[in-house]
Amino acid sequence: MTRTLRLGHLYPLQMSIYGDRGNLVCLRRRAEWRGWRLEVIAIGLGAGDGRLVAGCDGFLFGGGQDRDEAEVAADLRAFKAGPLAEAVAAGRPLLAVCGGYQLLGSHYRTRAGAVVPGLGLLPLRTEAGRRRAVGNVLVRPDPGLGLDAPWLVGFENHSGRTFLGPELRPLGRTEVGGGNNGVDGGEGVLAGSIIGTYLHGPVLPRNPGLADWWLARALAPAAPAPLPPLDDAAERLAWDRAVAQVRREQGGLAARARRVLVRRRAAG
Amino acid sequence: MSPPPAPRVHPTRRPWRLCCAVAAGRLAGSASRALGRGGGTTVPGDVARAIDPSVLARLGREARVGTVLVSGTNGKTTTTALVRAAARAAGWSVVANPSGANLVFGLTAAAVQATRPRGRLDADWLVFEVDELSLPQAVAELQPRCLTLLNVYRDQLDRSFELVQVSARLRRAVEALPPGAVCVANADDPVVAALAEGAGDVRFFGLDDRSVSRPDLAPAADARLCPRCGVELLFQAVLYAHCGHYTCPGCGLARPRPAWAAERVTARGLAPVSFTARAEGAATAITSPIGGLFTVANTLAAFATARVMGVPADHAAAAIALAPAAFGRGERVELEGAAVRLLLAKNPAGMEEALRAALDDRPMAIALGLNDGVADGRDVSWIWDVDLEPLAAPGGPALVVVSGTRARDLLLRLKYAGVAPDRLRVAEAPATALDALLAAGREGGGGDTPALLTYTAALAWYQELTRRGAVGRYWERP
Repeated sequence: MTRTLRLGHLYPLQMSIYGDRGNLVCLRRRAEWRGWRLEVIAIGLGAGDGRLVAGCDGFLFGGGQDRDEAEVAADLRAFKAGPLAEAVAAGRPLLAVCGGYQLLGSHYRTRAGAVVPGLGLLPLRTEAGRRRAVGNVLVRPDPGLGLDAPWLVGFENHSGRTFLGPELRPLGRTEVGGGNNGVDGGEGVLAGSIIGTYLHGPVLPRNPGLADWWLARALAPAAPAPLPPLDDAAERLAWDRAVAQVRREQGGLAARARRVLVRRRAAG
Repeated sequence: MSPPPAPRVHPTRRPWRLCCAVAAGRLAGSASRALGRGGGTTVPGDVARAIDPSVLARLGREARVGTVLVSGTNGKTTTTALVRAAARAAGWSVVANPSGANLVFGLTAAAVQATRPRGRLDADWLVFEVDELSLPQAVAELQPRCLTLLNVYRDQLDRSFELVQVSARLRRAVEALPPGAVCVANADDPVVAALAEGAGDVRFFGLDDRSVSRPDLAPAADARLCPRCGVELLFQAVLYAHCGHYTCPGCGLARPRPAWAAERVTARGLAPVSFTARAEGAATAITSPIGGLFTVANTLAAFATARVMGVPADHAAAAIALAPAAFGRGERVELEGAAVRLLLAKNPAGMEEALRAALDDRPMAIALGLNDGVADGRDVSWIWDVDLEPLAAPGGPALVVVSGTRARDLLLRLKYAGVAPDRLRVAEAPATALDALLAAGREGGGGDTPALLTYTAALAWYQELTRRGAVGRYWERP
């Protein structure tokens, strides 16, 4: 019998910009190519949808517009916090990108100083920065991920600056890009079966090792095992090209000066 | 029908600074063209504004009748070209900005080029397409008589960020319109309809014909949620992108009744479109050689705008019927025994609609070109939001050529869309991609083959087509 994985897509209406659909498409295909089915369960606003969480094998949580994020934050705390905490404690994977990543933490402090409480799943906090960090990113991933590729490659576009609590470790170290806050060199968070990252949009097809990390945990949360390999030639071609693009931008003196400026702005 | 607006009275003396700005701007434009640095489409504006920052505002007041601005994410260039053609058909002289030069520098350049250093701006109307983010400034400087708003989609998020921010800018522009100005707005786009509420005199256009509607919004449509209150919109009909007939169960936002309504719409593939524009109790038959359902909306917008300007309906319709497709807007180029259709596809909504229209014609081959230049948006994530899965459907094109600096990202996207590897070909250079497309077109019996391209990818294709003698240089086009 075909194994069916149930993917809980958190707030697809509110939290799905920046090519987030790519992550969903990627997980579905990589499951299908190995002979499993992937069923997507939309988890939206309301108490009813909170009850869907327990039936899911793993979760995706994308980025949204500021306006929608406030509404989502309140709904998360009211209806989803308990079941989500149980699911990740059992080892079910959760990939949170950009806005979704920020909402995992204790709170978000806006430019005006207002504090929007988050899900509180992880001891991290986010503050509004003055400038947006926008651009291609290279990240040296945490060895605990067990990835083959030397870097994660992606694109970031955020003004929030995220700070991890001392007990947390980042998903990786930024080699290029602002990362969590432009100061401490960390990008994202890796905590048990939770990954948070500012690499928005199609981070999974660009870094298929991360997709397989997610699938392995959805399949066997208690004891994730390596998955049967796939032909990732096209993935490698695109990955090479994306890395070359970052390197090219890094190349000249002007690019280096710009980088310093961007870092400063991000820190400001 | 509104009476033709009365000409404005000019001030008699010209300040020296304005003269210098115009002279220097024109000189810079000639130099830029002579040096082959492109068409000099914005340089004159940079130079003139450095000398006199109020040059655009001053020249704008010299237009004998007034200024029309056209804005929105997609369709600006086509709509502006049609408005210009209609105004000329009514006997007016018009100054417009060339495609792409739609920031204030581009508008300034166009105005400066149309002015002799010691003379006046020689035009009845200024008809400009304006970038959404530049619109508040353009409205403040030019005090337009008419502002036409087409649509608001996600576009180049690395530059313009979020939909909410873009619509806030547009709203500010709408609220700053001078007294007596008319806002012509798309009733079918909920984002536009919500923000146009702020205009003193807003008149809507929209497609009333539901026979051309489709069952559902695309998977990644931009405005599923009410732009006013955030509740999920109910669509009674989906026409194109996130445009259609809608109501909001939360706040009561509903599609406004259009003053100009398109009825009896015919739009199939990239074939010429036709419809009946009903307004003010009269019906006008309209045809356009440009294809695609989105063209119906652009054409109706142009017709409505022309009517607000005072162009007689039959003149407007006649001009629209003859106006060819602008640069990369479904333009058909014949060469080497085949024909390609060039379609700009710069954002998810644009690519999805272009693809839908292109696939309707069942082409034997299709090319997609993706660049990551600043003008394209350096972030290519958006291709994952486009519903490219129809390319994998049975009966789809036998060959899909991926091209451009990020061709491999397209290759990856199409792999996940389920397109069989033997139907995919990577050709990063436009010349190679064009050859593959033309060869497939010839083998398939000479049918048109479409190429969907981001902005700088389209420029590169035009350069290649120019090299082969199939088209003229883009800045020399009308």
